[in-house]
Amino acid sequence: MVQLRDNHRLGNNIMAVSPATQPVADVPVGMGQAMVVEAPGRLRAILGSCVAVALHHPGLHVGGLAHVVLPKSNGQSGLPGKFADTAVPHLVALLKAAGAAPPRLVAKISGGANMFGNTGPLQIGDKNIQAVLEALAACGIRVTAQDVGGTSGRRVIFSPASGELAVESVGQAPKHL
Amino acid sequence: MIDLASPDCPPLESLRRLSVEATQNASSAMCRWTGTRIHLSLDEVREVPLENVSAEMEIGDDLLTMVVVRSTGELGAEIILMFDETSSRKLAACLLGRVPDDCAEWDELETSALTETGNILACAYLNVMAQLIGSDLLPSPPLLMRDYGASVIQQALMAQAMECDRVLICRTTFQQDGEQLDWRVLFIPTEVTRRHLENAFRSNP
Repeated sequence: MVQLRDNHRLGNNIMAVSPATQPVADVPVGMGQAMVVEAPGRLRAILGSCVAVALHHPGLHVGGLAHVVLPKSNGQSGLPGKFADTAVPHLVALLKAAGAAPPRLVAKISGGANMFGNTGPLQIGDKNIQAVLEALAACGIRVTAQDVGGTSGRRVIFSPASGELAVESVGQAPKHL
Repeated sequence: MIDLASPDCPPLESLRRLSVEATQNASSAMCRWTGTRIHLSLDEVREVPLENVSAEMEIGDDLLTMVVVRSTGELGAEIILMFDETSSRKLAACLLGRVPDDCAEWDELETSALTETGNILACAYLNVMAQLIGSDLLPSPPLLMRDYGASVIQQALMAQAMECDRVLICRTTFQQDGEQLDWRVLFIPTEVTRRHLENAFRSNP
């Protein structure tokens, strides 16, 4: 169990969690949210067409997860974690505030399924994956592992202690990225 | 008494009334299809913050069986019939005159029975909506899925999420001979469809 000392909102629906006094379970990250925890805290999300971006600082055992819903903000305001182009810079800023400097951050991503099949006009999963990769590249963050695409949902749990992103998907063996 | 034609009428009230009508029509269709007394009742019409959808709609990371029917074209919407594994087995067995078997692989007949259930229910629901707005709502072929409920809802909410950070969901529950069933139907309109429905109800309450 992780010990939380503080639990404060930074901006609209962005929550930063820092160490130490109350025991908590895995912290769920809802659609459009972005959160940061220190080890041994863990972050979890359920994904369909959304993409989870997990950023990790290996030396500090601190990490964050953004639950990206759509590729581009196109100037829209709202949940900073909602769009790939706002979520990644925002998550980097949260980690920086927690002492994790961008040069050592690495990324793992998962999600971006097309739940209703690979036909139809709204293939948002593919667009989300592409937009997240572009946003990470723009911030100079290396992607070390990914499990994306397909037509099935995913449950992910991110552990900053090890940097592992565990991915479960229906009918498949769990993956440990 | 709420005046549904009034501009002061709460937007969700008109959608709630409409959903009650659609639910009644779906109820009748389900009774005919299953040959049992199944009653659908509108549970709620709510606007939910995007980030809290799973928690507030009580859809965790359980694996569910779902039939998804989409209204395609200009007026989009998703109708999702959801049940847990046991309930879906019971329904399929009831429709096929069999004893439920939770351990067996799903066969083609069971899959077809569930898919058709979703199709009948969704068409009954959409017919009421289409009559009200005087425009065709074209149902897609039904899609049977076994997956995390939250993952499927996430995709269904995309069109609304593009417009705002709060999403509208209508939820219906089921009873059979007075006993609550672990089935749910979610109706998720796009923003455009929602506006059409509200306007139609205001002009013809």
